[in-house]
Amino acid sequence: MLTRGEVSALIQRFPKVEDTLLSLQYAPKMPKGMVQETKAAIALARKFNNEVARPLALKLDRKTHEDPDYLPWELVETANRWGFYTRWIPRMLGGWGLNMPSMSYFTEELASVCLGITNVIGVHYLGIAGITACGNLKVAKRVLSEVVEGEKTGTPCIVSLSITEPSAGTDVEETDLMDKGTVTCHAERVKGGYVFNGRKIFISMGHVSTWTVVFGYTDLKRPSETAVAAVVKTGSPGFSFGSHENKMGQRVCPASELIFEDCFVPDNLILMDAEKARKYTGKPIREVTQRYTDYVVSATRAGVGAMGAGAARGAFEHAMQYASETFISGKPLIHYEWVQCLLAEMYKNAMLARLTYIEANYANSLRGMYKILQLKPFYYYYKHVPQAYNDKVLSPLTEKDWMTSLMIRTNLDWQFQSDQNCTSGWASLAKFSGTDLGMKNCQLALELMGQTGLRQERWVEKMLRDIKLCQIYEGTNQLNRVNLFKCLIGPAHPQVRVFDEQG
Amino acid sequence: MIGTMNPELKPFEELAASFAEKELAKNIEEHDRYPFGELFTDVIEKAFSVGLLGVTLPEDLGGIGQGISTLCLILERISQVDSSPSGIIFTNTLSQELMIASGSRDLLRETLSGANTAYDFLIAACSFSNPAEIQHMPVAQKRGSAYHLTGNLDYVVLGGIASHALVPAYRADRSRYSFFLVDLSDTGIEKSGAVFSLGLHACPAVDMVFDGAKARLVGEEGKGPTYFADVSKKMHIAAAAMSTGIMKGSFKEALSYSKDRFQGGCAIINWSEVSMILANMAVKLNVGELCVAQACQALEQSTHDWQHHCTAAALHVHELACDAVTDGVQVLGGNGYMKDYGQEKRFRDARQVQALLGIAPLKKISLIRDISGFEELCG
Ligand SMILES: Cc1cc2nc3c(=O)[nH]c(=O)nc-3n(C[C@H](O)[C@H](O)[C@H](O)COP(=O)(O)OP(=O)(O)OC[C@H]3O[C@@H](n4cnc5c(N)ncnc54)[C@H](O)[C@@H]3O)c2cc1C
Repeated sequence: MLTRGEVSALIQRFPKVEDTLLSLQYAPKMPKGMVQETKAAIALARKFNNEVARPLALKLDRKTHEDPDYLPWELVETANRWGFYTRWIPRMLGGWGLNMPSMSYFTEELASVCLGITNVIGVHYLGIAGITACGNLKVAKRVLSEVVEGEKTGTPCIVSLSITEPSAGTDVEETDLMDKGTVTCHAERVKGGYVFNGRKIFISMGHVSTWTVVFGYTDLKRPSETAVAAVVKTGSPGFSFGSHENKMGQRVCPASELIFEDCFVPDNLILMDAEKARKYTGKPIREVTQRYTDYVVSATRAGVGAMGAGAARGAFEHAMQYASETFISGKPLIHYEWVQCLLAEMYKNAMLARLTYIEANYANSLRGMYKILQLKPFYYYYKHVPQAYNDKVLSPLTEKDWMTSLMIRTNLDWQFQSDQNCTSGWASLAKFSGTDLGMKNCQLALELMGQTGLRQERWVEKMLRDIKLCQIYEGTNQLNRVNLFKCLIGPAHPQVRVFDEQG
Repeated sequence: MIGTMNPELKPFEELAASFAEKELAKNIEEHDRYPFGELFTDVIEKAFSVGLLGVTLPEDLGGIGQGISTLCLILERISQVDSSPSGIIFTNTLSQELMIASGSRDLLRETLSGANTAYDFLIAACSFSNPAEIQHMPVAQKRGSAYHLTGNLDYVVLGGIASHALVPAYRADRSRYSFFLVDLSDTGIEKSGAVFSLGLHACPAVDMVFDGAKARLVGEEGKGPTYFADVSKKMHIAAAAMSTGIMKGSFKEALSYSKDRFQGGCAIINWSEVSMILANMAVKLNVGELCVAQACQALEQSTHDWQHHCTAAALHVHELACDAVTDGVQVLGGNGYMKDYGQEKRFRDARQVQALLGIAPLKKISLIRDISGFEELCG
């Protein structure tokens, strides 16, 4: 028999059990209510697919080809009516407060029909993650109240996230690269706020969003130490839109250019800057910037992985349908063993993609962004607390300074580096695995369907166009591979550095 | 590579290069907008006037009477810039070759004689399928010496812009299909608008409905599969040449972008993962070029088993191309996904080209059936 000490030592060896068996560790801690809630979210997505996405997706894709300037206002209104822009906002901040991992399953369902429509909904939560990840509840409350109000009034208020710049894409995803690269969005400290100057590109839903979370830098030579995150409202003086891109796929979801010209952002709309960071944590600012980024992408990259799983599933479903209705030498294609094995392979790809994002979400639930919300006592408390009590007592707490201080410290100061590595590494794993598997299945479906698959009305060609983007945004799959190495493999090799091969 | 192995083909390489440069390079994005923009009819006319619509067609029929190497060289060169015209050349060549293989030279001569425009010279065909795989095909009825077609036929490439179409159809017993030539200006033919497809946008296809349309038998009744098998073995390699062309275009653009784009303080080619992607693309491209050139040689010299070599090479090259163009987008990051760069089009076109002449896995099954001589193999 092994002693407890031996067990403990052995499971600490690489690969550490605590970093790799997230499901096993989280399952006993998971509030049971999440299961029912997740099933309901999946059912809701399926209903939406039947009533909205399937009837609309191909038409909208065609429309955007006819008119590349088309913007999806009606679709956003529909999604708003369905309550999709507030479902995963915590109740304390006025939303429905569904458990966060359920969003990934919901995303997979939508993505199995249309990745473009999925992103019209999903990227709003990238914006929200950008707001909530730093813990600044005061600013979060301000913006998210408008989102909630927008749902009530039927005038959607959605949020986008603006990091990418013309000369900095991969670079702005990583502090290690940022300082070596060329960022140009300048944030100048002035009395009562900051003045932003610069351009952001490829911003999903930019033109259609009401608020954007923008990152600027007070010192363009040292961006990782001088990042300023702010929320800016559409229509603010000095903030305008340029063109939006003519893309291969996900065409219903615009990718916009955002222009900041002497755009003044008052202090009460600043989410995070070096001054605030110093106030709440003694950690080097560079680390805080990376932590903030990691917090966001740990959640959202798992979501992109779910999009990949959805594409893998959608492609599988179309291939299966084709194999059932197509006859070769008098027999349905699905009758042949090679086709059955191909479909089995595609099914496997979809399920593997799903398993990786599930594991990434377990990591987030156990050691990351969702940790507090999904502790049993908190989860049930928030789920069942009467609305009136929530509105009168809990919600106003979000406007208290001490609450914001507590949250910022929780998110940016008290998190262990090992937790950050685990969640960020798993999110990268889910992101590139899911999207690569989605791509693989679209390719296999297209090969199987031949000429039929080439037709837009048969879905698969559109899925292929759509899924390619998922290998690029939220950090290219290459960047995510390096990040996985950095977070999950690198710590076992402390002498090895990443992004340092030029040195 | 074909050019290097066959220096005598240099003039054709130059012809294709100058056509691509002058007629295509500047308006690739614009041309690709079809069917949501204008079709590049002037480019098609130009292709006709310089002989590109009849590369393998014998001179006495109005072509330039070249072999498969020239065809591949031209398709590869043009596809580096824009593969839609290659799709047009490919489809028209397929129709011509099928008619010649069926012994219908006279009918072809009659059809093409006096052709003054590309429209007169184009013969539409279902170039993205092996007719044996088509689920719904018209039925041909014989009344006197004439045939009449009734039924649907999907995805007839060039159907909207050609004067004639080569249509596979069954006789009433539905045993083996035959090819028929249809004058598309005749009555009893309904055409859809251009089908909105993944790639090769400017090589459009339409769906057709025949309602007693007049048709002329091409070759012998029930011999369609034999003609198709003969011709497709050769045409597989022409399709593969399109894939290598697309791959080459993608590689060149990726390589040049990787030298100009800076991230992390250096040109991205200096990040070893980027150079590894480029290296993988280069491997695929070089292997692809070699496969096509060797297959052409095997075919032209009728070496032992050339048919297997050509089919296998083509299947392999298409797969290489689909992978390589995916990486080609990736190297450009977000820009690779946008229409103002060439990579997204190549990503789509490579997959479209892979589907030429039928479903890829079924081509494999058919290859092993040929190699093994085992007719009973499933599929
Ligand atoms: C349609 C679309 C929507 C988007 N939505 C948003 C959004 O809502 N908000 C937002 O902020 N951004 C968004 N993005 C930006 C996206 O995150 C970036 O495109 C992505 O991070 C890649 O950056 P890039 O395009 O500049 O490519 P680059 O960074 O220029 O990369 C080019 C190539 O070089 C490789 N590379 C670069 N650096 C390295 C390195 N150090 N090591 C190895 N390889 C490297 C990359 O992997 C890639 O293959 C979107 C992009 C697109 C295309």
